[in-house]
Amino acid sequence: MTDSTPVAATDGPPETSRAARQPVGGYPGNLTAVVAANFTRALPCILVPVLFILSVIFIPGYFSKASIISLLILASLLGLSSLGQTMTIIAGGIDLSIPAVIGLSDIIVTQLYYQRWSLPVIFLAIAALAILIGTISAVASVLLRVHSLITTFGMSLIVSGVALEWSNGATSGAVPGWLTSSVSAIGKTGPVPVPAIIFVWAVASVLAVFFMNRTRLGRETYALGANAVAARLATVRSTWVQIVVFSISALCAALVGIFFAGYSGIPDPTVGEPYFFLTITAVMIGGTSLLGGRGGYLRTVTGALIVAELTTLLVGVGFNASFQELALGILVILLTSSYGRELKVAAKI
Amino acid sequence: MTTVDVASRLDIEDLSRSFGETKALRSATLRVAPGEIHSLAGENGSGKSTLIKILSGVLRPDSGTLTWEGDVKRHLTSPSGAQAMGISTVFQETLFAPEMTVRDNIFLGTDGLFRYGRRKGAELDTARQALSGLGLDGLDVDRPMWMLSLAERQLVTIARAIVRPWRLLVLDESTSALDAQQRDRLFDYLRQARSEGKSVLFTSHRMDEVLGLADRITVLRQGTTVTTLAVGEASRRGILGHMSGRADTAGIVSAAPAPRREEGRPRDAAGTLVLHTEELTLRPSSQPISLEVRAGEILGLAGLEGQGQVEFVECLSGLRKPVSGQLAAFGANGTAHPVRSYGGANRLGIRYVPRDRRHEGLFGPLSVFDNFAVTLWGDFNRFGLLRRQQVKKRFADFAESSRLVSASPGRAISTLSGGNQQKILLGRWIAMRPRVLVVNDPLRGVDANTKEELYGLFRRLAADGVAIIYLSTEITELLTLTDQVAVFHEGSVVAMLPSQTSSDTDVVAAMFGDEHHANPQRPGTHQAGAGG
Repeated sequence: MTDSTPVAATDGPPETSRAARQPVGGYPGNLTAVVAANFTRALPCILVPVLFILSVIFIPGYFSKASIISLLILASLLGLSSLGQTMTIIAGGIDLSIPAVIGLSDIIVTQLYYQRWSLPVIFLAIAALAILIGTISAVASVLLRVHSLITTFGMSLIVSGVALEWSNGATSGAVPGWLTSSVSAIGKTGPVPVPAIIFVWAVASVLAVFFMNRTRLGRETYALGANAVAARLATVRSTWVQIVVFSISALCAALVGIFFAGYSGIPDPTVGEPYFFLTITAVMIGGTSLLGGRGGYLRTVTGALIVAELTTLLVGVGFNASFQELALGILVILLTSSYGRELKVAAKI
Repeated sequence: MTTVDVASRLDIEDLSRSFGETKALRSATLRVAPGEIHSLAGENGSGKSTLIKILSGVLRPDSGTLTWEGDVKRHLTSPSGAQAMGISTVFQETLFAPEMTVRDNIFLGTDGLFRYGRRKGAELDTARQALSGLGLDGLDVDRPMWMLSLAERQLVTIARAIVRPWRLLVLDESTSALDAQQRDRLFDYLRQARSEGKSVLFTSHRMDEVLGLADRITVLRQGTTVTTLAVGEASRRGILGHMSGRADTAGIVSAAPAPRREEGRPRDAAGTLVLHTEELTLRPSSQPISLEVRAGEILGLAGLEGQGQVEFVECLSGLRKPVSGQLAAFGANGTAHPVRSYGGANRLGIRYVPRDRRHEGLFGPLSVFDNFAVTLWGDFNRFGLLRRQQVKKRFADFAESSRLVSASPGRAISTLSGGNQQKILLGRWIAMRPRVLVVNDPLRGVDANTKEELYGLFRRLAADGVAIIYLSTEITELLTLTDQVAVFHEGSVVAMLPSQTSSDTDVVAAMFGDEHHANPQRPGTHQAGAGG
């Protein structure tokens, strides 16, 4: 927050004496600590162009519109599925049911469209189902007083069970052509030669940032994740916050499922499986703390870009999928441990 | 057994211990002789528990010496080390494993002392002997602990301490759950042990126990040993005076006038009624509490640790249901509304500021402004969208009125000093324009200057017609700030003392359930009382 206030900017006597007594590692007295904290915060933003330049250098012919669009489609799929995840994590929870919801949504679109249902009805049904799934997870963890880790894991098993049963044996499905082109590298959005998913991600990002920073529920999400006991005493609507963020998370997963259906055109209940770890990776690399209360969706946007770029780079220079995971793992540990350091500086005071 | 001065069992010289910036123990001196029952007396925060934790090897002192039977030590290595030396401790909280049996609880952690081979037979005898010594002859030692009553559990934890070979038994408020008969049985046991040359060190919040059992009494005040008295030369009044720091050597109280609440505030005796409790019972066995709180009044709550004052503020703020009785808040138009829940209390304008800043108040990762504004968004939003300008204005107003320096709103709350953090937490509720502000020990760990500023803030709030319920562990603070002080003892209000005319000693006396001195109307007990 950079707002001007009538508050005096100078440190009062207690602060000054505190800084004098604790010269090492003190904040904001110690310049090194400030620089280090700001550097770790800026690190993801630096990595995005650095990884892109590395790709251009190491992958012949990479600098083209087609490859940039492909990269952004990959990042959009991950970014959209991590949007709700960012919110649940900031609220102090986690959503493990994202892959299952992606799979179910994929099945519903391909099957029902194949059976000639009208598209608005299909989308409304999926949205309603997603809200139901998110609400049940949230209400269950409030009523049963268990962490959302458990309720969403249970929900994940239920939802993938339903998806598997539904798709049992089905190999044929159908999707509208515009949906396929919305996730195709050569797809267009009206006259603009950019696939629609990228615009959808851009709009969703603006909405998510606005929600988190400018609405009462958004601020309450941070408060709940920062300190659930204090949040209750400060009359934060904890249950309502959880219902909303877990519903948003399921809605995002459902949206990604619809795009995946367009991507492949055939029913596949396991299509979301990699997003089990990928969403959490994008959130963590971006710099949102798994402890809750810290971070934001803009950070996850950079996180999703980094994951997409790193994957592309490693594929481009010939590494296989298992090596990609290894590299992501190293990056997660290195980056989040530096965020951890940033945390400790603040906690020291 | 020899007389006192020949050899000292325990000799503590000038012991000190700090926690961060809080000096829990400044200079404690204590001498316990063989064959002596010694009482450690003092108010809340006088350092009793810290001293006992050092004695039992839980804490290490910062400086000072500890001599055990002629052996000079800088500190005790560990709880088991203290045990091996012959110091057995029963802590204030009854600690036990609920799923384990009485027998296993008694011998918990003794595997090094008793060989496995001895366990079944000898152990059973030892346990039964110890329990019957405490009056629990019929207790089935194979019962799990959770099935026992509170008093039985407390006796079992004492049994656990006495089955160890001990020469000094330390009892920290270990009689709180016992009835008179059980207590007398315990005291008989202790006197028997004394006649065998063993030593006992105990604390109690009941003055009659201190005077009835102890041979000598050491008084601690603010971490410093004030005096050690033989029971013959100690009077109730004298001990209380030493504890509160208002006594001369003869034990006669001189009620030195403490700085009082300024008279600037219009003392509107007919302020409208805002809160009313009727026959409110906090615990099944305690006396009901009926009191009224009026607009503009500051009501202090005092009491030793765990005497019901915390339950009371939790009832007032809707966090806890009383055992029985009514609690009503009055709206602006005078209609009474029962307080049933925390949300309901908040809607009625009752705002609660919790005691534990870090765990119950602060949002550590968030900014100063977010910490301040979180409760305001409920009133300041349009269809869920924040109305930031208005809340920023409230923040600026509050920052000015509370002299909140060094707090640019975007700064992390964790970078503020404790006092400024507390200001933000208070501001969170003050900006909501409360009718009743319930504060639970708000100035703990706050530096002296900030305290003065916050006193001013509370007084201005009261002058604006806010009723303030003010729980504090500092008696001087209560007498300076409040209009009257309700003193809690064993779950009930035992005295309502007008702050203007009461002394620290009156409050301390009431805290110890000392009815002779709790009532300031009684002639001869209270000098300043006449002036009120």
